[in-house]
Amino acid sequence: MYYLYLITSLRGRAGFGITSDYKERNQQYASHSGDIVKFSYIYGGLSTHAKTVESTIKRQYIDNIWMVDDWKTEWLKDGISMSDLKSYVDDLVNNRHYRIQVVAEDYDFTQGMLDNNQ
Amino acid sequence: MAFDLKYEAVRRIPNPMVKINPMKNGTGKIVNLQDRVDKLNKNAAWKKTIKTWVEAGKTVEVDRIPKWILEELGLLNIAEDVQRELDEKHCANRIAPVGVFDPALMQPALCIKTSKGKYISINSQHTVSTIAGLIDAGLVPGVTDWRKFKFPFYYVETDSLAFARRAFGIFNGKGSKKQSQYMQLRNAVYIVRIDKETSDPDEVAKERKVSIAEKHECFPVELNSDFIKYPGTFTNISTFEGLTDDEIDMSCAWHNKYFHYEGVHVSLFFIYRDFVRKFKPAKCKVTPQLEEELAALIQNLFGSLSQFAESCKKVWRLYTDAKFGYEDDWNDDIYAEALLQLYKKFGGAEKIPKAILDTHDDLVEFFDDDILNLADNNVLSVSNN
Repeated sequence: MYYLYLITSLRGRAGFGITSDYKERNQQYASHSGDIVKFSYIYGGLSTHAKTVESTIKRQYIDNIWMVDDWKTEWLKDGISMSDLKSYVDDLVNNRHYRIQVVAEDYDFTQGMLDNNQ
Repeated sequence: MAFDLKYEAVRRIPNPMVKINPMKNGTGKIVNLQDRVDKLNKNAAWKKTIKTWVEAGKTVEVDRIPKWILEELGLLNIAEDVQRELDEKHCANRIAPVGVFDPALMQPALCIKTSKGKYISINSQHTVSTIAGLIDAGLVPGVTDWRKFKFPFYYVETDSLAFARRAFGIFNGKGSKKQSQYMQLRNAVYIVRIDKETSDPDEVAKERKVSIAEKHECFPVELNSDFIKYPGTFTNISTFEGLTDDEIDMSCAWHNKYFHYEGVHVSLFFIYRDFVRKFKPAKCKVTPQLEEELAALIQNLFGSLSQFAESCKKVWRLYTDAKFGYEDDWNDDIYAEALLQLYKKFGGAEKIPKAILDTHDDLVEFFDDDILNLADNNVLSVSNN
């Protein structure tokens, strides 16, 4: 199982990423930001499909990516909400038949590993 | 075991590239230099550079800008330890051929002028040697002595050969922005499409290849351009140009039929190159059924051809490490070999050339377990809905 997560920063910016270990990744965000950070949604499924969705966001959703000079971040620019991102990802998954699905919502590492997707 | 992966159709939406394809027509737009200055002034990297100038208290030394003059070719000297040896074949076969040579394309002689008034070439010796040779051969009407022929010199006043050496390096690559593969292709296409000039068979062939790709809504675009977000775009121009018309037609048709919503990954071109070149000698055919089943395999196991390609790179590293004890360099043949071995592992029944299947005969076993388990379990573990 591999994961695509949608993250909300402490000031409300939406972002995304992929990982094989969502608990450790979430803990890293907490370590860097000095606070608990929520993965608003975690999608689980085939690693190849999770990676395909992530690379599609980076390539085809590029107009909504937060750019710092020429650096393309894995965060969305101001005005693009978590709801927008979730809707975009759901459309991708449903329309293109990617084999990942939401396995957790509002997750942070204090919840540990979730039973239903280990 | 029967092959039972199914390709699921993806709703097609109109591709904006059909209308905005920069290869289709030139914009006809001509801007003045102010447009470029405005762009620079908005650019973050440019702003940083200007800031370093200001902080260093530096300004441009106008006197150092090169000067130009029409001067007799006989005054030009060539320092052999600054420039390369003359490549006579380059003059004969690249610059001077009767159907190629155009005086309007000659560059000025780039040189230094020493304090003793001596001109020493720092670039373009092949150009000046060629024109001098053509005069010497009596091919320039009204000019009998190349030594007296006045030619544009573009020079910097200095006695420093170190400057000349450095300048030669800069003019020949280091420091100059080379024309990209895409720009060269676009120029060829524009010459045929916009200028209606079809005398160069190479340009005509390039335009034809681009037309074949466009027929299937596949579009060459510049690396890192804004166009790469659109489906059907690709940036690996040299691989594209190396394909035959048939290979482009088949690969782009497959992409447009099954993965019209994605960018074109370069592995597609290598895969179809090998299909076309290796199926025929083995008396095998790339059948519609094979193409559909391969699309089903890519869609179900990898989601996209780019992810398949990434998996192949990992497979090759693991395979060569296990077989040879080290990670061998990447080999583009692996895309087709790995794809067709996977096809067989999942029960594909179409006839496949042994030359593809057997070259690295157990590559397939090095794919990730979550992929291989799907073949063993014959089931996809995560439902889409």
